[in-house]
Amino acid sequence: MVLSVKNLVKSYRNKRAVDGVSFDVGKGQIFSLLGPNGAGKTTTIKCVLGLRKADSGEITINGSYSYLPEQKEMYRYLTVEKMVHTNERISRSFDAKRALDLLEEFQIPLKEKIANLSHGMNTLAYLSLVLAEDVDLYLMDEPTWGLDPLMRNKVLDLIRTIPQNGKSVFYTSHILSEVEKIADIVAIMVKGRIAEMDNLDDLKEKYVACAVPKGQRLSGYLYRSTKDEDIYVVKRSEANGKIQPADFDMIFEALVKGVKA
Amino acid sequence: MVRSVWFKIDFASHVPVYKQIKEKFKLLILTGELKPGDFVPSIRTLADDLKVNVNTVARAYRELAMEGVLEPVRGEGYIVRQLNEEGFIRSNIENFVDAVERCKEVGIGIERLMSLLKEIYGRRDDGSEREELGEEL
Repeated sequence: MVLSVKNLVKSYRNKRAVDGVSFDVGKGQIFSLLGPNGAGKTTTIKCVLGLRKADSGEITINGSYSYLPEQKEMYRYLTVEKMVHTNERISRSFDAKRALDLLEEFQIPLKEKIANLSHGMNTLAYLSLVLAEDVDLYLMDEPTWGLDPLMRNKVLDLIRTIPQNGKSVFYTSHILSEVEKIADIVAIMVKGRIAEMDNLDDLKEKYVACAVPKGQRLSGYLYRSTKDEDIYVVKRSEANGKIQPADFDMIFEALVKGVKA
Repeated sequence: MVRSVWFKIDFASHVPVYKQIKEKFKLLILTGELKPGDFVPSIRTLADDLKVNVNTVARAYRELAMEGVLEPVRGEGYIVRQLNEEGFIRSNIENFVDAVERCKEVGIGIERLMSLLKEIYGRRDDGSEREELGEEL
Protein backbone atom coordinates (compact mmCIF):
# COMPACT_ATOMS: atom_id res chain seq x y z
CA MET A 1 0.00 0.00 0.00
CA VAL A 2 1.37 3.40 -0.97
CA LEU A 3 -1.21 5.46 0.86
CA SER A 4 -3.58 4.37 3.59
CA VAL A 5 -6.17 6.60 5.25
CA LYS A 6 -8.28 5.35 8.14
CA ASN A 7 -11.22 7.19 9.63
CA LEU A 8 -10.08 10.66 8.77
CA VAL A 9 -12.09 13.42 10.44
CA LYS A 10 -11.60 17.14 9.96
CA SER A 11 -13.89 19.98 10.98
CA TYR A 12 -13.73 23.68 10.31
CA ARG A 13 -15.46 25.54 13.13
CA ASN A 14 -18.87 23.88 13.20
CA LYS A 15 -18.71 22.17 9.83
CA ARG A 16 -17.47 18.64 9.35
CA ALA A 17 -15.55 18.86 6.09
CA VAL A 18 -14.33 15.26 6.24
CA ASP A 19 -16.39 12.82 8.23
CA GLY A 20 -14.74 9.43 8.76
CA VAL A 21 -13.09 8.75 5.44
CA SER A 22 -11.05 5.58 4.82
CA PHE A 23 -9.33 4.33 1.68
CA ASP A 24 -6.15 2.72 0.39
CA VAL A 25 -4.11 3.43 -2.70
CA GLY A 26 -2.16 0.41 -3.93
CA LYS A 27 1.09 0.32 -5.85
CA GLY A 28 0.58 0.96 -9.55
CA GLN A 29 -2.95 2.14 -8.99
CA ILE A 30 -4.81 5.21 -10.19
CA PHE A 31 -7.20 6.26 -7.48
CA SER A 32 -9.71 8.99 -8.19
CA LEU A 33 -11.57 10.92 -5.54
CA LEU A 34 -14.64 12.20 -7.30
CA GLY A 35 -17.27 14.49 -5.90
CA PRO A 36 -19.19 17.73 -6.34
CA ASN A 37 -17.68 21.04 -5.24
CA GLY A 38 -17.51 21.29 -1.47
CA ALA A 39 -17.57 17.54 -0.87
CA GLY A 40 -14.32 17.62 1.11
CA LYS A 41 -11.88 16.40 -1.55
CA THR A 42 -9.32 19.17 -1.14
CA THR A 43 -9.46 18.96 2.65
CA THR A 44 -8.82 15.22 2.40
CA ILE A 45 -5.77 15.67 0.19
CA LYS A 46 -4.46 18.46 2.44
CA CYS A 47 -4.82 16.29 5.54
CA VAL A 48 -2.95 13.50 3.76
CA LEU A 49 -0.10 15.92 3.13
CA GLY A 50 -0.19 17.35 6.63
CA LEU A 51 -1.09 20.81 5.32
CA ARG A 52 -4.21 20.60 7.48
CA LYS A 53 -4.16 18.98 10.88
CA ALA A 54 -6.67 16.16 11.04
CA ASP A 55 -8.95 16.03 14.10
CA SER A 56 -8.56 12.27 14.17
CA GLY A 57 -7.68 9.36 11.95
CA GLU A 58 -4.62 7.56 10.71
CA ILE A 59 -2.66 8.45 7.61
CA THR A 60 0.25 6.40 6.28
CA ILE A 61 2.30 7.23 3.21
CA ASN A 62 4.87 4.64 2.16
CA GLY A 63 7.38 6.32 -0.09
CA SER A 64 8.06 9.65 -1.72
CA TYR A 65 5.40 11.87 -3.27
CA SER A 66 4.82 15.07 -5.17
CA TYR A 67 1.79 17.29 -5.02
CA LEU A 68 -0.20 19.43 -7.40
CA PRO A 69 -2.29 21.81 -5.26
CA GLU A 70 -5.71 23.14 -6.09
CA GLN A 71 -4.32 26.70 -6.15
CA LYS A 72 -1.62 26.37 -8.75
CA GLU A 73 0.45 29.32 -7.61
CA MET A 74 4.12 29.71 -8.46
CA TYR A 75 6.55 32.61 -8.18
CA ARG A 76 4.91 35.07 -10.52
CA TYR A 77 8.01 37.00 -11.47
CA LEU A 78 10.17 34.03 -12.40
CA THR A 79 10.28 32.78 -15.94
CA VAL A 80 9.17 29.21 -16.56
CA GLU A 81 12.75 28.21 -17.25
CA LYS A 82 14.00 29.82 -14.03
CA MET A 83 11.26 27.96 -12.16
CA VAL A 84 12.56 24.66 -13.52
CA HIS A 85 16.12 25.41 -12.44
CA THR A 86 14.96 26.59 -9.03
CA ASN A 87 13.16 23.28 -8.59
CA GLU A 88 16.25 21.44 -9.66
CA ARG A 89 18.19 23.04 -6.84
CA ILE A 90 15.53 22.43 -4.20
CA SER A 91 14.50 18.86 -4.96
CA ARG A 92 16.75 15.86 -5.32
CA SER A 93 14.17 13.71 -7.09
CA PHE A 94 13.52 16.40 -9.70
CA ASP A 95 14.42 15.58 -13.31
CA ALA A 96 14.90 18.92 -15.11
CA LYS A 97 15.16 17.25 -18.52
CA ARG A 98 11.82 15.57 -18.03
CA ALA A 99 10.26 18.88 -16.95
CA LEU A 100 11.60 20.66 -20.03
CA ASP A 101 10.34 17.84 -22.28
CA LEU A 102 6.88 18.11 -20.78
CA LEU A 103 6.85 21.89 -21.06
CA GLU A 104 7.77 21.55 -24.70
CA GLU A 105 5.02 19.02 -25.25
CA PHE A 106 2.56 21.40 -23.63
CA GLN A 107 3.93 24.27 -25.74
CA ILE A 108 4.73 26.47 -22.77
CA PRO A 109 7.17 29.28 -23.64
CA LEU A 110 10.20 28.86 -21.37
CA LYS A 111 11.18 32.53 -21.38
CA GLU A 112 7.74 33.72 -20.34
CA LYS A 113 7.11 35.00 -16.83
CA ILE A 114 4.74 32.85 -14.79
CA ALA A 115 2.53 35.91 -14.27
CA ASN A 116 1.86 36.12 -18.00
CA LEU A 117 0.63 32.54 -18.42
CA SER A 118 -3.05 31.86 -18.92
CA HIS A 119 -4.91 29.70 -16.37
CA GLY A 120 -4.54 26.61 -18.50
CA MET A 121 -0.87 27.19 -19.26
CA ASN A 122 -0.20 27.83 -15.60
CA THR A 123 -1.78 24.47 -14.73
CA LEU A 124 0.29 22.73 -17.41
CA ALA A 125 3.49 24.39 -16.21
CA TYR A 126 2.85 23.36 -12.62
CA LEU A 127 1.92 19.87 -13.75
CA SER A 128 5.19 19.57 -15.67
CA LEU A 129 7.10 20.31 -12.48
CA VAL A 130 5.08 17.81 -10.45
CA LEU A 131 5.37 15.01 -13.01
CA ALA A 132 9.11 15.62 -13.37
CA GLU A 133 9.57 14.47 -9.78
CA ASP A 134 10.61 10.83 -9.65
CA VAL A 135 8.41 9.71 -6.76
CA ASP A 136 6.23 6.78 -5.70
CA LEU A 137 2.97 8.69 -5.41
CA TYR A 138 1.55 11.65 -7.32
CA LEU A 139 -1.10 13.56 -5.41
CA MET A 140 -3.02 15.89 -7.67
CA ASP A 141 -5.86 18.22 -6.84
CA GLU A 142 -7.90 18.92 -9.99
CA PRO A 143 -5.03 18.31 -12.43
CA THR A 144 -7.03 19.32 -15.49
CA TRP A 145 -8.42 22.56 -14.11
CA GLY A 146 -8.86 25.22 -16.79
CA LEU A 147 -7.56 23.10 -19.68
CA ASP A 148 -9.05 22.92 -23.13
CA PRO A 149 -10.31 19.47 -24.21
CA LEU A 150 -7.21 18.58 -26.23
CA MET A 151 -4.79 19.44 -23.45
CA ARG A 152 -7.06 17.74 -20.95
CA ASN A 153 -6.84 14.52 -22.93
CA LYS A 154 -3.09 14.86 -23.14
CA VAL A 155 -2.81 15.30 -19.38
CA LEU A 156 -5.18 12.41 -18.70
CA ASP A 157 -3.09 10.23 -20.96
CA LEU A 158 0.07 11.19 -19.07
CA ILE A 159 -1.62 10.26 -15.83
CA ARG A 160 -2.81 7.00 -17.38
CA THR A 161 0.73 5.88 -18.09
CA ILE A 162 2.17 6.65 -14.65
CA PRO A 163 1.47 3.13 -13.26
CA GLN A 164 3.52 1.59 -16.09
CA ASN A 165 6.57 2.36 -13.99
CA GLY A 166 4.98 1.06 -10.82
CA LYS A 167 4.06 4.52 -9.59
CA SER A 168 0.71 5.41 -8.09
CA VAL A 169 -1.69 8.30 -8.50
CA PHE A 170 -4.23 9.87 -6.20
CA TYR A 171 -6.20 12.66 -7.83
CA THR A 172 -9.38 14.58 -7.28
CA SER A 173 -11.87 15.62 -9.88
CA HIS A 174 -15.42 16.85 -10.13
CA ILE A 175 -15.70 15.86 -13.79
CA LEU A 176 -16.97 12.37 -14.56
CA SER A 177 -15.48 11.89 -17.98
CA GLU A 178 -12.06 12.48 -16.49
CA VAL A 179 -12.19 9.43 -14.31
CA GLU A 180 -14.00 7.16 -16.75
CA LYS A 181 -11.01 6.79 -19.00
CA ILE A 182 -8.17 6.24 -16.62
CA ALA A 183 -9.11 5.44 -13.02
CA ASP A 184 -8.72 2.01 -11.43
CA ILE A 185 -10.59 2.83 -8.27
CA VAL A 186 -13.15 5.56 -7.90
CA ALA A 187 -14.34 6.91 -4.58
CA ILE A 188 -17.41 9.10 -4.78
CA MET A 189 -17.30 11.66 -2.00
CA VAL A 190 -20.43 13.48 -0.93
CA LYS A 191 -20.81 15.79 2.06
CA GLY A 192 -17.61 14.69 3.73
CA ARG A 193 -18.16 10.98 3.35
CA ILE A 194 -17.31 8.34 0.79
CA ALA A 195 -20.68 7.22 -0.54
CA GLU A 196 -19.28 4.52 -2.82
CA MET A 197 -15.86 3.19 -3.64
CA ASP A 198 -14.99 0.46 -6.09
CA ASN A 199 -13.28 -0.52 -9.27
CA LEU A 200 -14.91 1.58 -11.98
CA ASP A 201 -15.99 -1.37 -14.13
CA ASP A 202 -17.38 -3.19 -11.10
CA LEU A 203 -19.31 -0.10 -10.13
CA LYS A 204 -21.04 -0.10 -13.51
CA GLU A 205 -22.02 -3.72 -13.02
CA LYS A 206 -23.13 -3.23 -9.45
CA TYR A 207 -25.95 -0.75 -10.08
CA VAL A 208 -29.06 -0.68 -12.25
CA ALA A 209 -31.83 1.84 -12.74
CA CYS A 210 -35.36 0.88 -11.68
CA ALA A 211 -38.61 2.65 -12.39
CA VAL A 212 -41.32 2.00 -9.81
CA PRO A 213 -44.77 3.53 -9.30
CA LYS A 214 -44.58 6.79 -7.36
CA GLY A 215 -44.42 6.29 -3.63
CA GLN A 216 -43.02 2.78 -3.73
CA ARG A 217 -39.76 2.91 -1.85
CA LEU A 218 -36.63 1.14 -2.96
CA SER A 219 -33.47 0.88 -0.91
CA GLY A 220 -31.18 2.82 -3.18
CA TYR A 221 -30.77 6.33 -4.47
CA LEU A 222 -33.57 8.35 -6.03
CA TYR A 223 -32.39 9.53 -9.44
CA ARG A 224 -35.43 11.17 -11.04
CA SER A 225 -39.16 11.53 -10.54
CA THR A 226 -41.72 11.69 -13.26
CA LYS A 227 -45.44 12.30 -12.85
CA ASP A 228 -46.21 8.67 -12.14
CA GLU A 229 -42.91 7.02 -11.43
CA ASP A 230 -39.82 7.26 -9.30
CA ILE A 231 -36.57 6.19 -10.88
CA TYR A 232 -34.03 4.77 -8.49
CA VAL A 233 -30.45 3.70 -8.92
CA VAL A 234 -30.06 0.59 -6.80
CA LYS A 235 -27.76 -2.35 -6.35
CA ARG A 236 -28.58 -5.22 -8.70
CA SER A 237 -29.66 -7.40 -5.76
CA GLU A 238 -32.27 -4.80 -4.73
CA ALA A 239 -33.67 -4.33 -8.21
CA ASN A 240 -37.40 -4.17 -8.68
CA GLY A 241 -39.92 -2.85 -11.18
CA LYS A 242 -38.81 -1.86 -14.67
CA ILE A 243 -35.08 -2.47 -14.75
CA GLN A 244 -32.64 -0.69 -17.04
CA PRO A 245 -28.88 -0.46 -17.16
CA ALA A 246 -27.29 2.48 -15.36
CA ASP A 247 -24.22 4.23 -16.68
CA PHE A 248 -21.66 5.88 -14.45
CA ASP A 249 -23.20 9.29 -15.01
CA MET A 250 -26.51 8.15 -13.55
CA ILE A 251 -24.87 6.36 -10.65
CA PHE A 252 -22.86 9.45 -9.76
CA GLU A 253 -25.81 11.82 -9.99
CA ALA A 254 -28.08 9.57 -7.95
CA LEU A 255 -25.49 9.10 -5.23
CA VAL A 256 -24.75 12.81 -4.99
CA LYS A 257 -28.45 13.65 -4.76
CA GLY A 258 -29.36 10.82 -2.46
CA VAL A 259 -26.83 11.19 0.33
CA LYS A 260 -28.29 12.96 3.34
CA ALA A 261 -26.16 15.36 5.31
CA MET B 1 4.64 -10.39 -35.85
CA VAL B 2 1.98 -9.05 -33.59
CA ARG B 3 -0.84 -7.34 -35.36
CA SER B 4 -2.00 -4.15 -33.77
CA VAL B 5 -5.64 -3.89 -32.95
CA TRP B 6 -7.72 -0.78 -32.64
CA PHE B 7 -11.38 -0.30 -31.85
CA LYS B 8 -13.45 2.37 -30.20
CA ILE B 9 -14.16 2.14 -26.51
CA ASP B 10 -17.37 3.72 -25.32
CA PHE B 11 -16.31 5.13 -21.96
CA ALA B 12 -19.73 6.51 -21.17
CA SER B 13 -21.46 3.18 -21.77
CA HIS B 14 -22.95 1.15 -18.96
CA VAL B 15 -20.99 -1.79 -20.35
CA PRO B 16 -17.73 -2.06 -18.41
CA VAL B 17 -14.64 -1.27 -20.48
CA TYR B 18 -12.99 -4.64 -19.82
CA LYS B 19 -16.12 -6.36 -21.16
CA GLN B 20 -16.08 -4.23 -24.30
CA ILE B 21 -12.49 -5.37 -24.88
CA LYS B 22 -13.36 -9.04 -24.28
CA GLU B 23 -16.30 -8.99 -26.67
CA LYS B 24 -14.26 -7.25 -29.35
CA PHE B 25 -11.52 -9.86 -29.20
CA LYS B 26 -14.03 -12.67 -29.46
CA LEU B 27 -15.47 -11.00 -32.52
CA LEU B 28 -12.01 -10.60 -34.07
CA ILE B 29 -11.37 -14.29 -33.55
CA LEU B 30 -14.75 -15.35 -34.88
CA THR B 31 -14.28 -13.30 -38.03
CA GLY B 32 -10.82 -14.78 -38.52
CA GLU B 33 -8.91 -11.52 -38.11
CA LEU B 34 -7.14 -13.15 -35.21
CA LYS B 35 -6.28 -16.81 -35.63
CA PRO B 36 -5.29 -19.50 -33.16
CA GLY B 37 -1.59 -19.18 -32.43
CA ASP B 38 -1.48 -15.43 -33.17
CA PHE B 39 0.02 -13.20 -30.53
CA VAL B 40 -2.31 -10.48 -29.33
CA PRO B 41 -0.83 -7.03 -28.58
CA SER B 42 0.90 -6.73 -25.23
CA ILE B 43 -1.15 -5.35 -22.37
CA ARG B 44 0.72 -2.07 -22.43
CA THR B 45 0.54 -1.67 -26.19
CA LEU B 46 -3.18 -2.23 -26.29
CA ALA B 47 -3.69 0.10 -23.32
CA ASP B 48 -1.69 2.78 -25.15
CA ASP B 49 -3.54 2.25 -28.44
CA LEU B 50 -6.98 2.33 -26.87
CA LYS B 51 -5.99 4.96 -24.28
CA VAL B 52 -7.33 2.89 -21.43
CA ASN B 53 -5.96 1.96 -18.05
CA VAL B 54 -3.39 -0.87 -18.16
CA ASN B 55 -5.14 -2.79 -15.41
CA THR B 56 -8.34 -2.81 -17.43
CA VAL B 57 -6.63 -4.52 -20.37
CA ALA B 58 -4.91 -6.92 -17.97
CA ARG B 59 -8.27 -7.84 -16.55
CA ALA B 60 -9.80 -8.45 -19.99
CA TYR B 61 -6.86 -10.70 -21.02
CA ARG B 62 -6.93 -12.54 -17.70
CA GLU B 63 -10.61 -13.33 -18.10
CA LEU B 64 -10.19 -14.35 -21.72
CA ALA B 65 -7.42 -16.68 -20.57
CA MET B 66 -9.69 -18.14 -17.92
CA GLU B 67 -12.30 -18.80 -20.59
CA GLY B 68 -9.68 -20.53 -22.69
CA VAL B 69 -9.84 -17.96 -25.47
CA LEU B 70 -6.30 -16.68 -24.87
CA GLU B 71 -3.32 -18.50 -23.46
CA PRO B 72 -0.57 -16.81 -21.52
CA VAL B 73 2.89 -17.61 -22.84
CA ARG B 74 5.51 -17.18 -20.19
CA GLY B 75 7.35 -13.91 -20.65
CA GLU B 76 5.96 -13.33 -24.11
CA GLY B 77 2.38 -12.29 -23.68
CA TYR B 78 -0.82 -13.96 -24.79
CA ILE B 79 -1.66 -16.04 -27.83
CA VAL B 80 -5.05 -16.84 -29.28
CA ARG B 81 -6.10 -20.34 -28.37
CA GLN B 82 -9.63 -21.01 -29.39
CA LEU B 83 -12.94 -19.32 -29.16
CA ASN B 84 -15.70 -21.07 -27.33
CA GLU B 85 -17.86 -20.43 -30.35
CA GLU B 86 -20.87 -22.09 -28.84
CA GLY B 87 -20.81 -19.76 -25.84
CA PHE B 88 -20.18 -16.67 -27.93
CA ILE B 89 -22.92 -17.56 -30.33
CA ARG B 90 -25.31 -18.28 -27.49
CA SER B 91 -24.72 -14.89 -25.88
CA ASN B 92 -25.30 -13.19 -29.23
CA ILE B 93 -28.50 -15.12 -29.73
CA GLU B 94 -29.64 -14.00 -26.30
CA ASN B 95 -29.17 -10.41 -27.43
CA PHE B 96 -31.16 -11.18 -30.55
CA VAL B 97 -33.97 -12.69 -28.51
CA ASP B 98 -34.09 -9.56 -26.34
CA ALA B 99 -34.33 -7.40 -29.43
CA VAL B 100 -37.06 -9.55 -30.93
CA GLU B 101 -39.02 -9.38 -27.71
CA ARG B 102 -38.83 -5.61 -27.74
CA CYS B 103 -40.11 -5.62 -31.33
CA LYS B 104 -42.97 -7.87 -30.32
CA GLU B 105 -43.80 -5.54 -27.43
CA VAL B 106 -44.12 -2.54 -29.69
CA GLY B 107 -46.29 -4.53 -32.05
CA ILE B 108 -43.98 -5.16 -35.00
CA GLY B 109 -45.39 -8.05 -37.01
CA ILE B 110 -43.47 -11.26 -37.67
CA GLU B 111 -43.66 -10.73 -41.45
CA ARG B 112 -41.73 -7.53 -41.21
CA LEU B 113 -39.01 -9.10 -39.08
CA MET B 114 -38.83 -12.10 -41.41
CA SER B 115 -38.33 -9.93 -44.44
CA LEU B 116 -35.65 -7.97 -42.61
CA LEU B 117 -33.89 -11.20 -41.70
CA LYS B 118 -33.98 -12.32 -45.29
CA GLU B 119 -32.61 -9.00 -46.42
CA ILE B 120 -29.72 -9.08 -43.98
CA TYR B 121 -28.82 -12.69 -44.69
CA GLY B 122 -29.27 -12.19 -48.40
CA ARG B 123 -26.72 -9.41 -48.23
CA ARG B 124 -24.07 -11.79 -46.98
CA ASP B 125 -24.57 -14.37 -49.71
CA ASP B 126 -23.86 -13.76 -53.34
CA GLY B 127 -25.29 -10.80 -55.15
CA SER B 128 -27.78 -12.54 -57.42
CA GLU B 129 -29.71 -14.02 -54.54
CA ARG B 130 -29.83 -10.66 -52.90
CA GLU B 131 -31.24 -9.01 -55.97
CA GLU B 132 -33.87 -11.67 -56.20
CA LEU B 133 -34.90 -11.02 -52.62
CA GLY B 134 -34.80 -7.31 -53.20
CA GLU B 135 -37.43 -7.62 -55.90
CA GLU B 136 -39.53 -9.78 -53.67
CA LEU B 137 -39.43 -7.14 -50.92
